[in-house]
Amino acid sequence: MKNWQKLKQKPDLWRQFFIREQVLDGIRSFFKHQNFHEVETPLLVASPGTEPYLDLFTTDITFQTPSGDKKKQLYLLTSPELAMKKLVAAGLPKIFQLCKSFRNNEGLSSLHNPEFTILEWYRANADYTDIMNDCENLIKSLVKNICQSDALPYQGKTYQLAGSWPRITIKKAFFKYAQIDSETLLNRDLLMKTALKKGYRHAKNASWEELYHQIFLNEIEPALATFYQPVFLCDYPLALAALSRKKANDERFAERFELYIGGIELANAFSELVDPTEQRQRATADIQQRQELSKDIFPIDEDYIQALESGLPPTGGIALGVDRLIMLLADVKSIQETLFFPIEEAIELE
Amino acid sequence: MATVKAGNIKRGSHVRFRGKPMLVTKTEFSYPGKGSAFMKVILKDITSGATVSFTYKSNESVEELDVSSIEMQFLYFDGNEVVFMNPRSYEQVQVSLNLLDGGERYLTSDIKVYVQFFEDLPVGVSLPPKAKLKVVKAPDATAGNRAKAAKKDVTLETGLVVQAPLFIKEGDVLFVDTASGEYVSRSN
Repeated sequence: MKNWQKLKQKPDLWRQFFIREQVLDGIRSFFKHQNFHEVETPLLVASPGTEPYLDLFTTDITFQTPSGDKKKQLYLLTSPELAMKKLVAAGLPKIFQLCKSFRNNEGLSSLHNPEFTILEWYRANADYTDIMNDCENLIKSLVKNICQSDALPYQGKTYQLAGSWPRITIKKAFFKYAQIDSETLLNRDLLMKTALKKGYRHAKNASWEELYHQIFLNEIEPALATFYQPVFLCDYPLALAALSRKKANDERFAERFELYIGGIELANAFSELVDPTEQRQRATADIQQRQELSKDIFPIDEDYIQALESGLPPTGGIALGVDRLIMLLADVKSIQETLFFPIEEAIELE
Repeated sequence: MATVKAGNIKRGSHVRFRGKPMLVTKTEFSYPGKGSAFMKVILKDITSGATVSFTYKSNESVEELDVSSIEMQFLYFDGNEVVFMNPRSYEQVQVSLNLLDGGERYLTSDIKVYVQFFEDLPVGVSLPPKAKLKVVKAPDATAGNRAKAAKKDVTLETGLVVQAPLFIKEGDVLFVDTASGEYVSRSN
């Protein structure tokens, strides 16, 4: 049955779907009270983010010129971050945006819809720890207003939000939950040997990224799901942090964090990389990797590199999955129960 | 040995995991931190009934069990097991309730089911997409606001409760979707 039919049949369900409206209102009022500007940037772009594994929705723009019709390939954006950081470079120190983002070929899952609502915010003269504080304050205020509580009840568990939330480094998490030290973690061959010993049968042909994530998903993420508090997982290996600043005291890691609640990844944040030379190198490496993976290839966003050259102050920024946040606040198992028209209703299912 | 790409593993299929035959009870794609694609599966150990979850790389080859299916008739429940009979050989087989994964709510003597075997061991039961079930309890419909909830809870012969239209009464026979547990239509 489609969601609109369920709503017609069971009017009590409207309340669950109205959580979305309350969350969107709550987010806007939280940021406006701190004098953030709300901005709108294009969804249709020529150079989307360079993340190697993301699949894109591709389209063409056609336009007439005196010499005939012209066509140019464009993409639906995967995140508004490049445009937003241009605005920070242009002089807006505190901005947020609520918009749709698009990722293709992600399969159907209770946590994915190819068109999803993303919240991004950026703070100039700040780093990822300031963004962690923002996350704590934002989610506490939403839960207080929507659930009238200081704790978040979700699927039979209660997540305590008071105080500051645990901040666990990747290095520590792999050591504690998978007994892997950082030297092994960062070396593809050592990690492959460890993975084989652990019983990952296909480790031999796996890339470092695959080994890292398979161990992460099987051993670290389930451990995060046992916490009764939200958790910031922080300081990612440099290879997984294309847009973030290196840690000053250990350049093998970068200032990136992800926020988890109940084992669900909710947000991804950085102390932004502001060095244009390094940004170009990392973007070029990413695009090369996209080529090897047979993904769509597009030019680097030169405008973004120029914005960095013109000077981007130290900036903290984040992308948060709003549909997942709504799912948590509505206490439902899947984001499909928060969307009036999930994609499953639009495409033929087997 | 048959293999399947982890990204194509289906719910209700059987795979070998760490040497043991397993029933796949749930599958879900996962893309950690914008990384490559993974497939999370929840597996049920055929012999012990224990559940494990494991995340494969989606392009990884996984051994699929060579399962054979035999059409059988449901006879009765026996504690934590369900007894089925082969209508041709009259041979009976007991299947753990655990392996039906909720499918027991559709079992009547009329339903056509296939019991799946792996090396003579029953490893699962596959149901038709729709089950025909008789209504044993249907409260009188209150007229109410027809623009809103034109449905009511009715109880079927197996104890399953579904939401059905107001005109459904006791003794009606309904088609129910065995994947979602939802009312499809009236059969008589």
